[in-house]
Amino acid sequence: MNTTGGTTFQGRRPDIRRRLIITMIAFGIPTVAAIVAAPLVGSTTIDLRRVLDRSVPISENVDAQIFFIARLPRTLAGALVGASLAAAGVVFQGLLRNPLATPFTLGISSGAALGAMLAITFDWTIGFAGLSAVPIASFAGSVGAVAIVYALSVARQRGLSTSVLLLAGVTLNAFFSALILFVQYFADFAETFRTLRWLMGDLDVSSFQPIVAALPLALGAFGLFATLPRALNLLSLGPDSAGTRGIDVTRAQRTAFFSASLATGAAVSVGGPIGFIGIIVPHLVRLLVGSDHRLVLPASALFGAAFLVACDTLARTVISPVELPVGVITALLGGPFFLWLLVRR
Amino acid sequence: MSIRSLCLCVAALTLFFARSSPSASSSQPVNHPKRIISLIPAVTEMVYAIGAGPQLVGVGSFDTYPSEVASLPRVGGLLDPDVERILALKPDLVIVYGTQNDLRLQLERAGINQFSYKHGSLAGVMETIRALGIRLGRAEGADRVATDLENRLSAIRGKVSGRVRPKTLLVFGRDALALRGIFASGGIGFIHDMLTTAGGDNVFTDVTRESVQATTELILQRAPEAIIEMRQSVKADEIAAERAVWSTLSSLPAVRTARIYILTDSSLPVPGPRVAQATESIAKTLHPEAFR
Amino acid sequence: MDSPGCALLSASDLSFAYGRVGRKIGPSTDTLHGVSITCAPGDLVGLLGPNGSGKTTLLRLLTGLLRPAAGRISIDGTPLSQLTRAALARRIAVVPQETHPAFDYSVLEMVLMGRYPHLGRFALEAPEDIAIARAALAATGTDGLEDRPFTTLSGGEKQRVVIASALAQLETDTNRGGARVQPCGSFLLLDEPTASLDLGYQIEVASVVRRLGDERGIGLVLSTHDLNLAAGLCRTLVVLKAGEVIASGPTADVLTPSLIRRLYGVDAEIAMHPRTGHLVVVPVGREAAP
Repeated sequence: MNTTGGTTFQGRRPDIRRRLIITMIAFGIPTVAAIVAAPLVGSTTIDLRRVLDRSVPISENVDAQIFFIARLPRTLAGALVGASLAAAGVVFQGLLRNPLATPFTLGISSGAALGAMLAITFDWTIGFAGLSAVPIASFAGSVGAVAIVYALSVARQRGLSTSVLLLAGVTLNAFFSALILFVQYFADFAETFRTLRWLMGDLDVSSFQPIVAALPLALGAFGLFATLPRALNLLSLGPDSAGTRGIDVTRAQRTAFFSASLATGAAVSVGGPIGFIGIIVPHLVRLLVGSDHRLVLPASALFGAAFLVACDTLARTVISPVELPVGVITALLGGPFFLWLLVRR
Repeated sequence: MSIRSLCLCVAALTLFFARSSPSASSSQPVNHPKRIISLIPAVTEMVYAIGAGPQLVGVGSFDTYPSEVASLPRVGGLLDPDVERILALKPDLVIVYGTQNDLRLQLERAGINQFSYKHGSLAGVMETIRALGIRLGRAEGADRVATDLENRLSAIRGKVSGRVRPKTLLVFGRDALALRGIFASGGIGFIHDMLTTAGGDNVFTDVTRESVQATTELILQRAPEAIIEMRQSVKADEIAAERAVWSTLSSLPAVRTARIYILTDSSLPVPGPRVAQATESIAKTLHPEAFR
Repeated sequence: MDSPGCALLSASDLSFAYGRVGRKIGPSTDTLHGVSITCAPGDLVGLLGPNGSGKTTLLRLLTGLLRPAAGRISIDGTPLSQLTRAALARRIAVVPQETHPAFDYSVLEMVLMGRYPHLGRFALEAPEDIAIARAALAATGTDGLEDRPFTTLSGGEKQRVVIASALAQLETDTNRGGARVQPCGSFLLLDEPTASLDLGYQIEVASVVRRLGDERGIGLVLSTHDLNLAAGLCRTLVVLKAGEVIASGPTADVLTPSLIRRLYGVDAEIAMHPRTGHLVVVPVGREAAP
């Protein structure tokens, strides 16, 4: 994919340090603005003074409950999920050397969907750390998918084969989709409908617990992401080019694969498999800052957070009082954008 | 999301949000059918209720009531009807859902009569029963069942009339042990009608669709005075924990007055001959004093 | 050949067989037996051989991408296995046949990637690194392309930019900000660098390569099956066939009609070209059946 538009702009400023600072500021400000503004907007009008009025007990303060229980966790969930999916998209695209890869290319979403489907259909009541069965099962499903794909990609040789990774992921996606249809035989209509609705993404977490549970995973993933940008730059030239420039290719690929999977799994456990974030955001960011992963990765995380928070705000206000699934909004924006990317050359 | 699941979504959405009218249309009325297949649980119940159960030769995958269906061949469900099995059973009437267009086309080609049905209002249930009776040559039996239902429903209406009608959130789907994935009755459809008949005011009366995904914000804003959940899969020992989940939303009148009810009766979400029974259990939940 | 204070890249008695992956290829191809090769600073060693003779495998061994099953590779007397990846990358750089970045980097970014082995874990390139990158661009005649997207370059330009990146990779800057030390004891391995280029670009790249050895004292190992390229560029040749060295030594001694017959089954005439001053190989016909 060509990003000529950004290259001319960046070529004038070779100093990576300055570009990094400018990028972080340019992407950070809208992100903070989106996160601050989103909880103030919604299908209901709330009075911020009343929200913060401590003299009214919280159990009688509807404005405060809407703000602190409905909107704030939801906004933070959007930011966490958006940042995780966008950054995971960048890492998977670099790892697979394929600009069209997404966080869900390797079967993670279908594993998560299968887990969620099982939890919804058989109404599992397992709970852990304040989480209900659906996020736990979807996270377990994504871990299962990741483990299978990884085991296959390292089975035949030392090191990690990204082509096997890709093929195994795509195949697993198809296989899990078949399993999902099989499980659907045991589901009644309402359960099927809830599963499908979950597949379209849902950030209405209604408490901080899902965020708190996913946060350590996401932070762990972002900690590993921080070690990756240079390796991703080199890996995108090819594994041999990376290896002869001092990168431990297998270790870098493994770190990339597991950290991006972890971020994706955490995101899916919070909001379901919300599509297109992992591909629109990195591509838009590359148009603006070029391809250097040291800029693309943090900028995508910030922009992903802002983008999903904005999409979710749109989702819950555009046809209020009912709301659109946030995945529908991202797909409506992402689909045409994606096609435009394909024909842009 | 794969294309396939997207298609399923679209199918599900069309079905769920279809502003369906009680349409019980029949093709050309011919001799009364002897070999009937019903793909719709609610209509299967009606067939038994009007005494045509013995003519059934196949039912849908989700049919569980009455217990006689257990011995009948299964021919798929709403989204995946098994046309081959249906044809192999040599039916002379297939009861299909209004959105099963492929199936309807195939049946037409095979020259098999069909009775098309869509969920609609509560009154539509009785309408369907009568139409089905005519179609199956059991008009009298059907009319008796329908009239009985009408009488029972108006009896309920009578018992709850004049009482304070609580603003009610009627939930028919939710993730276990979390306030997520909540689907509630909107302002149309038989569930809404059942609630209204049972002496409750739907908090989503203004939403002209059958199903609403009730977000936390929406629930807080609508401030229901009672919450009724129809959740068949919740076991008796889990009810307390499931009710406790709502305590987060402490500003809700329903939470403060502990008017949260979880009903596990399997008749509840079926728009068939058990609607009166279902409506009665909602009415007893909202107005226990009226039934003493 | 061994100049004092400078290093020697030497491999002796290497054997290598691809593991389970290469099992179908069989033992006689892409596998090395008892291969030795030496490259000193300023040397330009040509690695000749037909497809599948083990050239690429040997280069991958020399860069440490593969570990030999037997034998020993050392730089400066130190086994490769004792060097960290980054230390090794600062001494040995590779120019592959083709480079296709998955994303569009600018030319300068591509060259700066050569500096990564010199940077601390989270360090960013300093102005010194940019100066080195620009010098490397100048050395390969691509200094006007700095802001161009790499993918828009011609084949010859791309290859020269990749060589510039390799040069930036080998540039030591122990005294940052001061006068740069000429890389001493660093090696550039080129894997059929002109194979996918047409004639004009081949000459473009060859002249850059020739200058590197002459002017910068970098030891070069160049694999090719272009006999005339080897004849024109390389002072010494190592000839591989089926994973074994069948000839090695000064170009004029090694490059004989009998060798070419043995390698390719082709009769060829070899003559000194009066204007270029090096040997030219002219194939004259397929060898008669034995």
